[in-house]
Amino acid sequence: MIDALLDNIVSMIYIILGGVLISWSVHFVPVGGAPAAMAQATGIGTGTVQLAAGAGLTGLVSAGFMMNVTDNLPLILASGAVGAMIMIAVTMIVGTWVYVYGVGCVPSSAKVKVDPITKYRQDLYVSQGTEGHGLPTVSFVSGVIGGLLGGIGGALVYYALIEVGLKAGLTAGTSSSVTGHELVGIAAMFAIGIFFVNAVIPSYNIGGTIEGFHDPKWKKWPKAVISSFVATILCAVVAVIAISQLGVI
Amino acid sequence: MSAGGSGGGANAAYPPQTIMAIGAVGGLAGIYLGHFLPPMFSFFGGLGAICAIVWGADAVRRVASYGLGTGVPSIGMIALGMGIVAALFGLSVGGIAGPIVSFVAAAIIGAVIGVLANKVIGMGIPIMEQAMVEIAGAGTLAIIGLSVVIAGEFTYGAVIENVVANGYIALIFIIGGMGILHPFNANLGPDEKQDRTLSVAVEKAAIALIITGFASSLHEGLMAAGLNIAVGLVIWTVAFMKYYGFVKRDAHSVVGTGLLPSAEELQ
Repeated sequence: MIDALLDNIVSMIYIILGGVLISWSVHFVPVGGAPAAMAQATGIGTGTVQLAAGAGLTGLVSAGFMMNVTDNLPLILASGAVGAMIMIAVTMIVGTWVYVYGVGCVPSSAKVKVDPITKYRQDLYVSQGTEGHGLPTVSFVSGVIGGLLGGIGGALVYYALIEVGLKAGLTAGTSSSVTGHELVGIAAMFAIGIFFVNAVIPSYNIGGTIEGFHDPKWKKWPKAVISSFVATILCAVVAVIAISQLGVI
Repeated sequence: MSAGGSGGGANAAYPPQTIMAIGAVGGLAGIYLGHFLPPMFSFFGGLGAICAIVWGADAVRRVASYGLGTGVPSIGMIALGMGIVAALFGLSVGGIAGPIVSFVAAAIIGAVIGVLANKVIGMGIPIMEQAMVEIAGAGTLAIIGLSVVIAGEFTYGAVIENVVANGYIALIFIIGGMGILHPFNANLGPDEKQDRTLSVAVEKAAIALIITGFASSLHEGLMAAGLNIAVGLVIWTVAFMKYYGFVKRDAHSVVGTGLLPSAEELQ
């Protein structure tokens, strides 16, 4: 067991780094929660976990797709990042259409007076009794950055887990039989498990809603990152041992 | 054992210790029975999963009453996230003691995350540490229990081949999580009652047993799958009728509204 951990020390560092990146990325995603679903808060109208999972798992899938053709780490990370960014950007643009053309409100932030990117006034457009609504430009940009970080994090975790399995003598994706993808299956499930743990911890940190990097709550990120760091160490140890054992049976 | 926490006196609140005992002992007993008995009786794993899911739902109910600041689903997802990591780890190193090793690993991971949530993030929920341990343990037992339904045993090789490699694990992940997070999410509010919430947990867990029963036909054959589905359907029917009874009991009144008025009647 200890040998497995020592042999895979680099992979473990990748996993922990990935977990920390995922945790940090959640702080960038404009999560509005239930209030945003009623256009009473800025952000996308669903919870952190759903958004992080949606973007992160898309990143995982696109990273896995890239792994089919190459084992070049930067390319895999780029593929994961682009996948997650596309997913979160599409979610945000469609959400904006719904807010603007469906609900009929102006995308505006209640946390800042002027949008730091476009310099447009925000406070004039915030409806009374709401915490802003829709997705102003700064939130959109912040969300795409969140997708980038989350996608890299997810891809890094998945790549590292696959590497652990390859070292233990397993093969990934070469067999075409239904039961031939043990490594892919277990690495994906561990990556998803680690992803969910690291998506929920920051969501408790931000109290469920955040507008993006201009939100005052964003400055709380070190707390979540430290927590995720510790939690991911545990998960990484457990995951590396479990996957190494796969080579023994 | 099979009915989990749904039966018993209508208005009596079950103390956490009772539910904990049902979940941990019932869950492990179901898993081991499902493992040692022939594949025909793999539904015992599902009964264990039902006990575990009821326990998890009760723990979610207790911790989420404090207000998490975010939706209840998040805690169900972290339960299954911790659960899946701990479950596969325990089965890989534990051999015949696999579920117990998984359970202990889950408790450790849950305790660490609970302490981090309170001490570092500062959520300030007094029972956070205990609840995280319980939720992680319940999630782990639910995953192993449902894996036993599909694979017929919990040896690492069998679970990897019959549950993980073909992707059924993703199904277990989501339906197990639904069973733990949905009951409180569906019933929360000022008039939330424990027995009503837990009857939904039994009902959701029975649906999980039915679905994994379908999945088990691939490996265990139609007879075992049919038995799994039948047991699941019976439990689902009983739990759903109980839930309906609780809803009628707690509702101010239940009235039929009739059909929508036609265009002529509206004029």
